[in-house]
Amino acid sequence: MSIIEINGLTKDYGDHKGVFNLTFSIEEGQVFGYLGPNGAGKTTTIRHLMGFLTPDKGEAHILGLDCRSRSADIMKRLGYLPGEIAFFDGMKGMEFLEFMAKMRGMTDTSLRDKLINLFELDTKGRIRKMSKGMKQKLGIVCAFMHDPQVLILDEPTSGLDPLMQKTFADLIVEEKNKGKTILMSSHSFEEVERTCDRVGIIRHGELVATQDIHDLRLKRRKVYLITFDNSSTATRFAESSGFDIIEVNENIVKLSILGNVTEFIKTLHNYTVLDLNTETSNLEDIFMHYYGDKTPSAANM
Amino acid sequence: MFSKPLLKATIKQNYIVFLIIIATLMLYLPIIIYMYDPSTQDSLNKVLETLPQGMIAAMGFSNIGADLIDFIGSYFYGFLILLLPMIYTIIACNRCIASHVDKGSMAYLLSTPNKRSKVARTQSLFIIVSITLMIAIVTIVGLVLSNATFPGLLNVKAFLLLNLGSLLLYYAVTGIGFFASCLFNDTKNSLMIGAGLPVAFLIIQMISDVGEKTEFYKYFTMFTLFDADKIISGEGFIVQFIALLAIAIVMYGLGFYVFEKRDLPL
Repeated sequence: MSIIEINGLTKDYGDHKGVFNLTFSIEEGQVFGYLGPNGAGKTTTIRHLMGFLTPDKGEAHILGLDCRSRSADIMKRLGYLPGEIAFFDGMKGMEFLEFMAKMRGMTDTSLRDKLINLFELDTKGRIRKMSKGMKQKLGIVCAFMHDPQVLILDEPTSGLDPLMQKTFADLIVEEKNKGKTILMSSHSFEEVERTCDRVGIIRHGELVATQDIHDLRLKRRKVYLITFDNSSTATRFAESSGFDIIEVNENIVKLSILGNVTEFIKTLHNYTVLDLNTETSNLEDIFMHYYGDKTPSAANM
Repeated sequence: MFSKPLLKATIKQNYIVFLIIIATLMLYLPIIIYMYDPSTQDSLNKVLETLPQGMIAAMGFSNIGADLIDFIGSYFYGFLILLLPMIYTIIACNRCIASHVDKGSMAYLLSTPNKRSKVARTQSLFIIVSITLMIAIVTIVGLVLSNATFPGLLNVKAFLLLNLGSLLLYYAVTGIGFFASCLFNDTKNSLMIGAGLPVAFLIIQMISDVGEKTEFYKYFTMFTLFDADKIISGEGFIVQFIALLAIAIVMYGLGFYVFEKRDLPL
C-alpha cells in the first residue's frame, strides 16, 4: 500500500517557481530521499504534504487521506521536522517537548527520553540560546518522540556534526526496520545514500527521476585518485588502460568511473599502488547526469 | 473545540503585558475618582476654561458635568480607556496568529493533531476572554472605589453601560486585529492593519472632537460608535452597540475563514 501518494501536484508561483505536475508515491516501510538544489521545490512539496498549501491542480494523500482537508487526522500518525527551525519564544527545551506532547495528547515519554539520551540533547537551556545543531536535535526528538508511522523530514541533518549525522542515520535505519515510512529531503547525496531505498530528484519544480538507490549508484560517476610508486608507472597506467583519465600529476592519476569498479580493481592488480582515494562525488555530479545542461542556470549548479 | 495546552502557552506569553496595562489603568482610575470633588467642580471648570477649547475637546474632556459619572465618563472613558487596553489588544492580536506564522512556530502547532480552525478558535478565545477580564476588573474596581469614596453618588446603571460599551468597542477592535493577524504572513503587515487602523480611528476621533469644523470626521472612525456622553445621558446608544457587536462578529468570522482557507508559508 502506498503510504504517501502525490498525483499531478501543481503549484505555480510564477517565474518557474513552484512544483509542476509532480507524481510519485512512497510504499510502506520505504525511505525516500528527496533530492534537489535549493529552490527546486522540495519544501513546497513538503508544505503540500503537511496541508499548509492548497494545490492549484492535483492532490496529495498520506495514509489514504487528503493532505489539505484531513491534515489533523494525518498528524496523529505523522512526525514532522521543518526545514527552518523556529520554536516558541522563551521556552526551554524540555518545556517545548512537553508542550508538543500535550498538543498531541501523548502520555508515554519513554521514547522521548531515549531520544534525548541518544542525541545528547541538553533540554534545560532556553531554546533561543541554543546552537543551530542543538536546535536541530530538539526538532528531531520532537519529530520522532510520539513514534509516528510516517515521517517527513526537511533537511534533517543540517547543522549536525558528523558523529550526530551517523547517529541520525542509524536512527533512520532502525525506524525503517520497524516499518516506518520516511520522506526526507536533502541536497546531499551522501546523506541520502546512507539511509534511503529510493531517491527522487527534483529540479525547477519538476521531478526528473525517481530511482532505486542501487540503480542510481550504478549510474553515478566516482572520481578515484591513485598514487603509484613513481611517475613512469603512473604514465604507463594512464596510457595503457581504457579508463576515463581526468589528469596525471607526477605519480598521481585522477580518473572517473561510471558504476562498476571490477575492471578497475583487476587492472590495478598489475601495478604498485601506494594509495587509493575516492573524491566524494557530490550531488552536483549526479544532477549533471540528470540535468544535462538544458538551461543556462543548470550550468551554474 | 479549544486546545488547552495552546491556551496555557498563549496565556504565559501574554500575561505580563496584560498585567502592565491593568496596573496602568489601576493607577489612573483611583486618581480620577479621587480628583472628583463636588464642591470644587466649578473652580476646576474655570481652570479648564482658561485652556484652549479645542485642546480640551481633543482629549475627550468635553463635558465636565457636575455628576461623578460625567466626570469619570469624560476623564477615563473619553480617552484613557480607548488608548491603554488598545496597546494590549494590538500586541495580543498580532502574537496570536501572525507572529506564529511569521516565525514559523505555526508549523509545529499544525504538525499536531489540531485543525487550523481549532488553533484560531483557541487564540480568539484567549483574546476575547482576556479583554473581557480587563474591562471587568476596571468595572469592579470603579464601582468599589466610587462607592467607598462617594457613597451613593455614582450612577451605577450609566457606569455599567459605559463599560459594556467599551467592551463591545474592544470586541470590534480585537476583531480587526484578529482578522489582520489571520490574513497576513508577517508581523509587519498584520500590525499595519491590526494596529494602524485602530490608532488611526483614535486620532480621527480626537480630530473630530476638536470643533464643529472637523466634526464631519466622525464618520470616518469606528470610535464614534462609542460615545460616552450619549451613553450617560441615555440618548440612543443601542444601535451603536449593536453595530459594534456586528463588526466584531463579522471580523472574527472573516479571520476564521481566511485562516482556514489560505496558504501558509511554513
